[in-house]
Amino acid sequence: MPEQSLLTEDVRALIGSETPAGAVQVTPRAWRHAVEVYTGRVPAETPANGEPVSGYAIAALETENGGTSRIPDLMPNSLLIANQWEFERPLRMGETLTASSRIVDITERFGGRFGYSIDFRTESVYRDATGAVVARSGITMTQYDVREARRAEDAG
Amino acid sequence: MTLDPAALNEGDELPVLHIQPSLGMVIRYCALQWTFPVFFYDPEAARAMGMPGTIIPGPLKVGLLYRAVDEWLGGAGWVRQVRAAHRRPDPTNDPIDIAGRVARVYEEDGKRRADLELAIINQEGQPSVRGFAVVEFH
Repeated sequence: MPEQSLLTEDVRALIGSETPAGAVQVTPRAWRHAVEVYTGRVPAETPANGEPVSGYAIAALETENGGTSRIPDLMPNSLLIANQWEFERPLRMGETLTASSRIVDITERFGGRFGYSIDFRTESVYRDATGAVVARSGITMTQYDVREARRAEDAG
Repeated sequence: MTLDPAALNEGDELPVLHIQPSLGMVIRYCALQWTFPVFFYDPEAARAMGMPGTIIPGPLKVGLLYRAVDEWLGGAGWVRQVRAAHRRPDPTNDPIDIAGRVARVYEEDGKRRADLELAIINQEGQPSVRGFAVVEFH
């Protein structure tokens, strides 16, 4: 365990920091590729512009705007512990959304299966032309030191 | 069988979705995300990092939960939310089962919705992911 908290003022200042907003589009290509990844099937037909499409397409949008917020490396190991997709309405074929990403929260944990660890929760938000939120995707990463995690495991 | 939202009850189980996520699926996922961590496709690199071999990316698994729910809905509604809490890695090519049950059926904002509890179960019968979803019926 570090001798003092790694959540310095500089690190805490990252909470709420947002990437520049950029445009992303639900294209037939992105939708088809996403469906193929998750279902293993090549869609026989592509929905027409404006038709609702399955939410898989959000996975293609996540990187189109440069990905999620950059998380600083405070500990040697990192692991995804949770993620989620949320939709206020179905995505629509052909629509252009504005995407931005931010660090929602950074917390530290003492003890537990990872020993001392730091959790980063980030979120990407997708808005339509009126500014209304259409979808969100979020992840929670934990950073830890595998040697300390092993000691915690050995201690039961 | 077509899902009838009006006949849905708390405790109803979703049909189990059996999947064997292949290295091909993982590589296609990496291409979709345009991110290529070596431990997702190189067994030696994965083992050097203390993993049993290549593993299924966690973010891919939330999409597999989505698929299980979407296929169960079969056009009777849409998925508002899906969440995954990752408990243990799933090695590539190992079969997994995605199971679920209806936890709550309710009306909200004039819409009929349901909360679902989900899990990815590995071949040892252990949950590798605990999940949750909210669906809205047409």
